[in-house]
Amino acid sequence: MNVIALDPSVVGSSVMSTETKEATAERFERDVAPFFDSLYGAALRMTRNPTDAEDLVQEATLKAFAAFDSFSEGTNLKAWLFRILTNTYINQYRKKQRAPLQTSADELTDSQLNDVGEHLGMRSAEAEAMARLADGEIVDALAALPEDFRMAVYLVDVEGFSYKEAAEIMETPVGTVMSRLSRGRKQLRELLRDYAAERGFIASEVKS
Amino acid sequence: MSCGNHHDVPCVQIHSWMWIYLDNELEQDSAHLVGHHLEECPPCADQFTAERIIQTRIRQCSETVQTPEGLRTRIFTQIQQTITE
Repeated sequence: MNVIALDPSVVGSSVMSTETKEATAERFERDVAPFFDSLYGAALRMTRNPTDAEDLVQEATLKAFAAFDSFSEGTNLKAWLFRILTNTYINQYRKKQRAPLQTSADELTDSQLNDVGEHLGMRSAEAEAMARLADGEIVDALAALPEDFRMAVYLVDVEGFSYKEAAEIMETPVGTVMSRLSRGRKQLRELLRDYAAERGFIASEVKS
Repeated sequence: MSCGNHHDVPCVQIHSWMWIYLDNELEQDSAHLVGHHLEECPPCADQFTAERIIQTRIRQCSETVQTPEGLRTRIFTQIQQTITE
């Protein structure tokens, strides 16, 4: 499919076997540079702390450089970088918390999958009121979501990854991404609704 | 929330597809059905508008994150060091 070549996130520079380490480092820096703010933003949302976010980006970028040979040209570099970032975070998180991430794919039931897209029946007037919240309040609401849900919402809603890409990054089946996304979005909307009600933008009980 | 009118595809089905449609992940035939339904069902169309407002807002507020000064230089300097070791 030629369409792929039009995607700016797909890097097309070719690897030369004769490339010096210095040239590889330069190519890496050049290719990775456009995604740097996104990576830091993602790290910040994962760690919720600027110092940890810097450390995470640093560790992930060094890992990515070490593994750069294994990156296949023509595939999605941004998704590849995000996968490394996410894995690095999960490993650190597991080390720190000594607890695995919750929900795994096998715990998913059909009924959970059927929840996908089940809505709060939000109206556009309410959404407009919720959209008046400050950036900080929206970021706080995102941060308040459980780990896995936050990641799914972040990858799809903020970074604009496809379900398939998000699934590769999170190393879960697509159905799991959809379920986490749906539950994350639902919780996020409830939180935003609460915040908007607290600020007096909408009446507290407007569910129809 | 249903408008009470008859549709080829019921509102409840549209609701379960709405987010997937919003994400451009619904396969073409179903996407067509959703598009058609939204044209003839104001309550569902309003809900879809609401979902799009929220998604756009979430995306906007996250664009303000900027990498701290020096982080990028620090990392790439470190990479330079690893290859000269």
